[in-house]
Amino acid sequence: MAQNPILGSPRTGGTFGNRGSKDGGKPRSFTGTLRRLWEYLGHERGQLTLILFFVLADAGLTLVGPYLIGLAVDTMGAAGGLKPFGPLEQLLLLLLITYIAEGGVAFLKSWLMAGVAQRVVKELRRRLFAKLQKLSVAFFDTHTHGELMSRLANDVDNVSNTISQSSVQLMSGVIAIAGSFIMMLVLSWELTLASLITVPLVFFLTKTVSRKTGLLFKDQQARLGQLNAQVEESISGIQVIKAFNHEDEVIRQFKTVNQQLTEVGTQAQIWSGFIMPLMNVINNIGFAAIAIVGGILAAQDTITVGVIASFVSYSRQFVRPLNEMANIFNVLQSGVAGAERVFEILDETEESADKPAARELVRPRGDVFFDDVSFGYRADVPILKNISFAAPQGSTLALVGPTGAGKTTIVNLLTRFYEVNSGRVCIDGHDIRDYTRESLRRCFGIVLQDTYLFAGTIAENIKYGKPEATQAEVVAAAARANAAGFISRLPQQYDTVLAENGGSLSQGQKQLLAIARVMLTDPAILILDEATSSIDTRTEFHIQDALKKIMQGRTTLIIAHRLNTIRHADTILVIEQGRIAEQGTHEELVNRQGAYYALYHPAL
Amino acid sequence: MRFLLQYRRKYGKYFWIAVVFVTLEAFCDLLQPTLMAKIIDVGVAGKQMDYILHMGGVMLAVTAVGAVAAAVRNIISSRVSQQLGADLRGDLYEKIQSLSFANIDRLDKASLVTRITNDVTQIQGFVNGMMRISLKAPLLCIGGLIMAINLNAELAVVLAAVVPVVILLIVFNMRIGFPLFIQVQNALDRVNSVMREYLAGVRVVKAFNQFGHEEDKFAQANRQLEASSVTAIRMMAAFGPGITLTLNLGIVLVLWLGGIGVRDGHIQVGHIIAFINYMIQILFSLMIISMVFNMFVRAHASAGRIDEVFSQQESMAWNPAARLDAGGFEHSVEFQQVCFAYGGQGSELVLKDIELSCRPGEMVGIIGSTGSGKSTLVHLIPRFYEALSGQVKVQGRDVRELNPHLLREVIAMVPQKSILFSGTILDNLRWGKPGADLADLEAAARLAEAHDFISAFPDGYQTRLGQGGVNLSGGQKQRIAIARALVKKPAILILDDCTSALDAGTEGRIKKAIREIAREVTCLMIAQRITSIRDADKIVVLDNGRIVGIGRHEELLERCPVYQEIYQSQFGKELS
Repeated sequence: MAQNPILGSPRTGGTFGNRGSKDGGKPRSFTGTLRRLWEYLGHERGQLTLILFFVLADAGLTLVGPYLIGLAVDTMGAAGGLKPFGPLEQLLLLLLITYIAEGGVAFLKSWLMAGVAQRVVKELRRRLFAKLQKLSVAFFDTHTHGELMSRLANDVDNVSNTISQSSVQLMSGVIAIAGSFIMMLVLSWELTLASLITVPLVFFLTKTVSRKTGLLFKDQQARLGQLNAQVEESISGIQVIKAFNHEDEVIRQFKTVNQQLTEVGTQAQIWSGFIMPLMNVINNIGFAAIAIVGGILAAQDTITVGVIASFVSYSRQFVRPLNEMANIFNVLQSGVAGAERVFEILDETEESADKPAARELVRPRGDVFFDDVSFGYRADVPILKNISFAAPQGSTLALVGPTGAGKTTIVNLLTRFYEVNSGRVCIDGHDIRDYTRESLRRCFGIVLQDTYLFAGTIAENIKYGKPEATQAEVVAAAARANAAGFISRLPQQYDTVLAENGGSLSQGQKQLLAIARVMLTDPAILILDEATSSIDTRTEFHIQDALKKIMQGRTTLIIAHRLNTIRHADTILVIEQGRIAEQGTHEELVNRQGAYYALYHPAL
Repeated sequence: MRFLLQYRRKYGKYFWIAVVFVTLEAFCDLLQPTLMAKIIDVGVAGKQMDYILHMGGVMLAVTAVGAVAAAVRNIISSRVSQQLGADLRGDLYEKIQSLSFANIDRLDKASLVTRITNDVTQIQGFVNGMMRISLKAPLLCIGGLIMAINLNAELAVVLAAVVPVVILLIVFNMRIGFPLFIQVQNALDRVNSVMREYLAGVRVVKAFNQFGHEEDKFAQANRQLEASSVTAIRMMAAFGPGITLTLNLGIVLVLWLGGIGVRDGHIQVGHIIAFINYMIQILFSLMIISMVFNMFVRAHASAGRIDEVFSQQESMAWNPAARLDAGGFEHSVEFQQVCFAYGGQGSELVLKDIELSCRPGEMVGIIGSTGSGKSTLVHLIPRFYEALSGQVKVQGRDVRELNPHLLREVIAMVPQKSILFSGTILDNLRWGKPGADLADLEAAARLAEAHDFISAFPDGYQTRLGQGGVNLSGGQKQRIAIARALVKKPAILILDDCTSALDAGTEGRIKKAIREIAREVTCLMIAQRITSIRDADKIVVLDNGRIVGIGRHEELLERCPVYQEIYQSQFGKELS
């Protein structure tokens, strides 16, 4: 079937960097992944059977065409058919019907396939996204966004192409080869033998050239990756490049990579470009062989001219898919590799399920207790060692210490973003693993250093943790968070639409919105993870005031390295290398002149 | 697309050579059906083995010539397109490196990366395709028409019916297809953006338990994408079979008319087969032309985006003769009545009437709230941006007179975000002074308190950094960035809030070291913490783009209200 080149596939436009699929040509377990993909096609089996039927019908009808043409040619040669509706017209009518049927079948095939393929990828995307909701924060910490995006976009797209195009092409290719071969045998075994001499040539050519081009294209892909990395790095760091007058140096570096890419790219393209003309030569050798043998046979009156005409068409239909098959197989392979990468995510271990006996944490008081907790993101690299402390209801606990000491890890364990390796974390006297995760998380209000705001209006962002909140509640929360002032100065006030991650708001304004957002959920435990670190101290002043208000009556954990944020905490824990080095109030620790004093000495 | 002109000049002749070979190739292709027809009509039908062998040989020879022509054309087109792509990338890269920050801000960094990668690839593919198939397609189309008419003018009537219908179908296909696929693209963008947003805010989503909300958002975008894809593909599904059907109807017509002709005795059977072959050839070339047109639309859009970069005007001018004097100036940095706005005249002023001068050897602290214009102020010194009005002078000369290269030679800057490049630590330090020896680099690293942790790495100074220095902590990156600036031994050192990840002790030691080695160096230090700059010779307090106080710590504490407020927030009675 002539593939309409205009249709192609909707190009997705390469995503930035193309990270995920960079080195992914070959799947690890071809049949295993294929079988799994087949399971995904489960509900579609009825439709798929119908499609398979259409593919068969299409291929069959395509085979009938040349046969009828051959017969028609022979009828022309035969004399005496001068009647207005003779055998020729009958044959042509049959041919006409065949062609119309073929067109209809081809249309129905594509029509159905579009539905099946798109439904399957939609389901794949849905499951992928649903899966992402169940993965732990640990997963997101170890996978870059670019990589995950690329799996959702490029890999799923690859799968869709595989299902809708390559698989059909492969099927009709196989049918065309088998069918043509049978037809050729039926027409004349002698000619079949003659035309088979080109088959080893095709195999040899496809194998040699494709091995060569395969290596070259892989190399080209790697160089392209290098080039992209260099460009990304040097454009994002252009300020430093200019400040150090380093333009010529990076241009020289770029030219080296660029030159290497060009050399490999040229080789790859030249080699792959040889296939077409060589195939042409082989095809014509085949034709010459058919003509010569056919001439001899015709001379002996073993076959007719019409048979030769049909035979030429069949031998083309026989060889062309052979040549395309290698190509289709490559596409299929990269599609299966894409599916594999998607399944890889679907197979990731999820956040452990709640215990069967897990109970709801209702009206939490906010008594926090760490009992001999040890933890490492990797089992062999401990981050926290035997941490024990208590933060009773309504108290403020500050965590200080150098970067990497494990302060944020403590928060991650408390919120059960990660699970302890040993020991236990308790809230209101019970291990947090005994609560349902949902009710546990509901008792926290978290303000992070890098506040994330979603695309949407200001009101929607404030309501994020409590979508059912009324406008009055939103306004009240904003007022208590000292955010009402700047919101009222915005043109659309609470209906002002924010771009992804806050857009034009200043860091301080975003933080105030984050505080309002927490305010509305009225949590028992408040966590401020470097909440004011990226804010200058003057703006911080206003935010501190807002924080002071929400801290009232709540257990609060503060992570900070600025002295002014922590000095009034009820307890300060100095964390060093995963251990509690010191604990006490600001005055006690200053008087002790230990680790805390050393950290803040110049500021005191 | 003026930028394409120079490449046309460079590669024009290869292009024409390729045209010659493509023509030869097309000619050989066009001869094939006629030769086949002759073999069948004369050789096979007439049972002349000699003729078959003879013409078979001719046909193989023609094929061989065609293959050689194709191979040569392939080599030329591959080389030209790849080399053109390389040139284009290289020139674009150089252009980007020469752009001013004002231009880079306008064009957006991420989009510059896509322009240099995807867009160039798009053009490269188009050029290669052009030289390969698109030249051949019109030749085959026209040649096929001529050969077909030549073969049998009577049967050519069928072509007159079939070809316009096919062209019409192709045009319709594009007309209907384009908007539909744009819709698909938009739906896809939407799915991607929901996903991107989820990934960026995953902690917030988890903390607030808003999975349902996110899933709804995604489900909606996902459904939309499915619906638009299915619509687009189904609309298009009719055209492929439609075009094939039209062609096939043409074949039936040819056979019918031909059959009548054979009966009448004025058409040979072989001619009919040849005619059908030409018809298929014409149809394929029409389809290829439409495909080339599609590619052209895409390449054209890419060329537009590239052109936008090339057509950026160099906004910076200087006096080539202007040099910095080695001495004889009182102030190494001076701002006189400087105003600045990122958007140029008429947009909101970021700096207003800045009046500031710094002597060699002076340590100047700059403090103020976010958005008060601290970074902008120091960016005017190395001429990253130009003042809207007023004058910025370095060592007594207006920066607008100076070649930025000369200017930047005497200035070293440590940016707010430590940017390191992939390579070894040594490579990164050498940025400061290409060819500096190890002892110099080590000395600088010691001053920046970086030597100890670098030596503690198994590979020491030869430790390789990943892109952006991912394998270092924030504090380590900052210290390497400071060392890199110190290697340069600048006359003016700018530290743009680059000690935020360092504890106060380390910061103090670095500052002391800088003071000791650099008695003649003007040091401008932007800081968040008052402790970082309280011992500076001069502290500049910025508020809303204006200088609201200049003086020593004690003086400012006495009479600058903004400074008092900052002090209070850091040392005072907050939260009580």
